[in-house]
Amino acid sequence: MTLARRSTLRLLVCLVVATLVAVGRADLALALDRNFAGSAQLDYHLVPTARELNARREAFDGFTVEAAAKVAVDVGGRFAANLKICFGCHGFETDMAYFDYRPSSAFAVRFGRFSPSFGAFNLRHDPANHRLSDKPLPYDMGRMLRLRAWNMGVLPSPMPDNGVEVTGKLAVGETSSIDYAAHAVSGFKADRTSGDLDFVQSRDGSLYYVDNNGRPSVGGRLSFTTDLGESSDLTVGASGMRGTFDPDNDLAYTIFGADASLRAGRTYVRLEYLGRRQDLDVSDPRRFVYQVVPNGDFTVKHGAYVEVEQALSTRVDMIVRADGMLRTGNVLALPAGVPTPSDGVLGKRSSVGRLTLGAAFSVEQNLRVKLSGELWEFSDRNASGALMAVSAHLGAVGTF
Amino acid sequence: MRAALAAMTLLVTSVAACSAPWRDTPAPGYVPDAQRGDWEVFARRCSKCHALSRPLQSGIENEDQWRAYVARMRAMPGSGISAVDEERILAFLRLYAADQRRKHARGASAAETDGGSPLPMPADGGAP
Repeated sequence: MTLARRSTLRLLVCLVVATLVAVGRADLALALDRNFAGSAQLDYHLVPTARELNARREAFDGFTVEAAAKVAVDVGGRFAANLKICFGCHGFETDMAYFDYRPSSAFAVRFGRFSPSFGAFNLRHDPANHRLSDKPLPYDMGRMLRLRAWNMGVLPSPMPDNGVEVTGKLAVGETSSIDYAAHAVSGFKADRTSGDLDFVQSRDGSLYYVDNNGRPSVGGRLSFTTDLGESSDLTVGASGMRGTFDPDNDLAYTIFGADASLRAGRTYVRLEYLGRRQDLDVSDPRRFVYQVVPNGDFTVKHGAYVEVEQALSTRVDMIVRADGMLRTGNVLALPAGVPTPSDGVLGKRSSVGRLTLGAAFSVEQNLRVKLSGELWEFSDRNASGALMAVSAHLGAVGTF
Repeated sequence: MRAALAAMTLLVTSVAACSAPWRDTPAPGYVPDAQRGDWEVFARRCSKCHALSRPLQSGIENEDQWRAYVARMRAMPGSGISAVDEERILAFLRLYAADQRRKHARGASAAETDGGSPLPMPADGGAP
């Protein structure tokens, strides 16, 4: 372990220990206000159209569990500590371990480990906070079909990272506000010869404590929120981030997005677009499936969704979502002797579209059952020659 | 795929034309008419990112803690919570906290006599 890694590790351990000590000290009760919260979602993913193929080869079918526990400690009105531990497909992970200091509404700063402000959905990434079992495709982190060929979404959510963020809220009249956020974090990681960002390396417990290239990724978000009436409001926003992902700082990625969320009475309409452009190392053209052409040293991945959520009664919500992704650019070839994967191989221009119809039933105040069906359409055939697929989710989520 | 998309668009349009009450509307009489607006602000702002059960089930009964909690939430980017909203949300939470304190003071046995339901709120904690 390098000196830098040990120092960073010590810093994070101290942060966590300090938070836990603060939480446990009864004699600090007058100064500290603690709030515990948590959630757990169990989901069963059925892919009936993949029976011949064995769905496990191209998706996480069957049961999956996502669980999280969070403690927030308010030290007075302007300083707080937040610690959130999650359990999911990466095992246990520290989703949050940060302090935030808010001297005024217009200026606040947080430092530690957190998901930087980006897009609209990420605020609701906890399965307790969105009505469907899975996330929109641009934010998918493993529940999509053909997840390996696509390497998940444009920006898999959440994306906890180590760094610092400045945020603020500026009032515009009595009914509108502008929020800003600017961050510097370690950034996503991958090897030089990787054909895409390596989300395992970016999150792996043995690697994420220290940056692989020492150069932070920077970005920010700007959003405008306004009331349209007594029970309606609109938020529009734009986000971006840029950094290098390889150890030599030669290869860059840029992620950008725009979003709009409208609430009109009991109806929610959400639209969001994300795009990611990233460099490819094409110094060895033999590593690619398709011929390397001039200006062919990058890929672009677009993703978008539109979602409508409507309350049918006090206990039942209906959710309709249309989402998809489009990827352009070259694809890494498989090593000699490795058979074509079940997912198939992406083309130079590949797309995936999905329609989802779902419902969420509130059984108790803190218990909800989720049911949804999905229709998929791909531009490329998988190993069994299919272009379309059907899947379904049945899940339950509890919160405290 | 296009046929499915068209069918879903029709379904959404039809359903959106229907109206349903706030899923967390308090029981009649729980919120005085004068504070009904405070409840609406609380429900609208706080349900934007998480279920209303999060704050309602947090166990907070202390004014200072509510103030710190709401200030932290207001600082979340895109919360849409203005300074005026913050006071109105606190006004409702003050009412709610006082009710919770009364219930706890009555003790568990009295609560059982009440039917064991500490909240006049309906089933779910609300919007995402």
